[in-house]
Amino acid sequence: MERPIPLLSLRAISKHFGGVEALMDVDLDVHRGEVVALVGDNAAGKSTLARIVAGIHRPDSGTILIDGEPVTIPNAQAAFSHGIAPVFQELALPENLDVTSNIFLGREHSVRGLLDVDAMDDLARSYLNRLHSRIPDLRAPLYTLSAGQRQCVAIARTLVANPRLVVLDEPTASLSVSQTAEVLTYVDGLRDMGLGVILISHNLTDVRAVADRVEVLRHGRNNGSFSASEATYEEILAAITGATRSAPRR
Amino acid sequence: MGAPGSQASLREANSGRIVEAVKLYGKITQVELAAATGLSPATVSNIVKQLLAAGIVQTSITTRSGRRAQQVSLVRSSELSVGVHIGRRAAEVIVADASYSVNARQSFPLPADHRHDTTLDRIALLVAELTEQLGASLDDVDAVGVALPARTGLPAAAGLPGWEDVRVEAVLERRLRRGILVTSEAEAAAVAESRYGSLRGVTTGLLVRASHNVDGCILLEGLPHRGVGGIAGALGHVRVDASGPICRCGARGCLNTVVTSDAMAEDLRVSHGPMGLRAIVAAARAGDPGCRQVVADAAAVVGGVVADAAMLLGPECVTIAGELAAAGDVFCDPIREALASRPLLSRAIVVRESECQDPEARGALALAHDAVSPSLMTQEV
Repeated sequence: MERPIPLLSLRAISKHFGGVEALMDVDLDVHRGEVVALVGDNAAGKSTLARIVAGIHRPDSGTILIDGEPVTIPNAQAAFSHGIAPVFQELALPENLDVTSNIFLGREHSVRGLLDVDAMDDLARSYLNRLHSRIPDLRAPLYTLSAGQRQCVAIARTLVANPRLVVLDEPTASLSVSQTAEVLTYVDGLRDMGLGVILISHNLTDVRAVADRVEVLRHGRNNGSFSASEATYEEILAAITGATRSAPRR
Repeated sequence: MGAPGSQASLREANSGRIVEAVKLYGKITQVELAAATGLSPATVSNIVKQLLAAGIVQTSITTRSGRRAQQVSLVRSSELSVGVHIGRRAAEVIVADASYSVNARQSFPLPADHRHDTTLDRIALLVAELTEQLGASLDDVDAVGVALPARTGLPAAAGLPGWEDVRVEAVLERRLRRGILVTSEAEAAAVAESRYGSLRGVTTGLLVRASHNVDGCILLEGLPHRGVGGIAGALGHVRVDASGPICRCGARGCLNTVVTSDAMAEDLRVSHGPMGLRAIVAAARAGDPGCRQVVADAAAVVGGVVADAAMLLGPECVTIAGELAAAGDVFCDPIREALASRPLLSRAIVVRESECQDPEARGALALAHDAVSPSLMTQEV
């Protein structure tokens, strides 16, 4: 069977910040229903790549293809219209608003000029259920929720747009074990919904638990691509630390 | 205590049986109580009234097949028990009180070939966190049951690579300072099904757990039968191919060398690319022809072994649990056909899918709770 056209293809992406070479000829493919983990040391270029996909940075060179068509993602709105939903490390959600308001912030449903609160509550509940979340009260302001529940609200926010690709930057950093378990279960849920997921994480256990493929970045370059269920910790670690080098592709 | 043979002693014995049944099933209707204890509905009703007055059980109204029914459960004790299931690619932890109404649950995905130190560390932290979520502490936990894809006493057949020499009991006991009971996931699932699920009320039954590999548990008189050395019911080590490859146990051609998630993934590699067991099962359910074929072929081999086992055991009911059971009839029908193809096997053997959520964790919890709680038989009513 021919592998279908990837949902997202990055080809030879490079990005400089002054003298810093953040990314150098980086390739990345994400298919539908696939979780691709991006791993690497600090400053390997993981977050820069995520920001390019989310329209926050523009690459100096290289091509971005969505469904095989070359596109440009000049800003976050463009990413949104391409069905790309990012969740960054800094969640940046207004903590005084309740769960429903946060999920629909900027995209509120209204009937005859009035907010359709009931419909939004129902939808918010359905998004949270799809993510196996247990937030009993949608009227609770965000500051009363745990870090894991807030992370879940941030991820639920991405579902409003009916996205095709979700980008998660360190979603489990500073979470407790049960919250980590919840977030990893969400990621599994996103895959089951047929979405593509880019998961950035330092934690190899989390990465190998939910990812289908692990892409290693080292000093802004591709340094190996592994099947998550077959590669060992040692192989991935060796690629991250530079003990092994992948042959340059193409 | 009444004199032996007197009306009073008979009544005590009967209340003992009812309390024992309520304890076993957690929540049970009066109609079911009558069936479970063999007592008449009138006797059950009288005794439940007395137990209610004595503050031992509580009742609530529920509906059973469209009718109002009185549901009986033990008065919620403050003691909590924990059930843990560590599988190949996921773990579940549940915390429940004595009436077995599950109060907290968390599952989490695990990497392939996960390491024992990381996993057991996370399990210990998760048990503590879930107990705290219920407003309790570890001191309120009476026992922790752990179901593993391995059989005690059969180290070579350990289902988790790299865990062969790990003493799970000792590690968790040191971390949690609670009594730990380790059991096989097949036995735990059989206990859960016989108390809360599809094997309820079944005296002779067989549970087949089809997951990354296959294991089984025999129920005799409603209780798991371990046999000498804990080997009974190890369906995964029944020979299916006399010239097949060597199994991890050292024998040739075991079922576990033929029906494994790795073998299924290998069959699909050329056509479908790399796939995990969960993805294969989901695709088979969704009707993908290749995945259906692979799952049905695996089921046919398992079905042959189940039919052989049924010839020896004569079970009333065969329950299919584990990840492959989630494929539904794609997996269960070939097993039904294999049983039906043996003329001597009674057509009355029912093949059912598991009817219990997290049967492994629930069964482990129940076994651990039983091991530490004193029998209520002796309690004065």
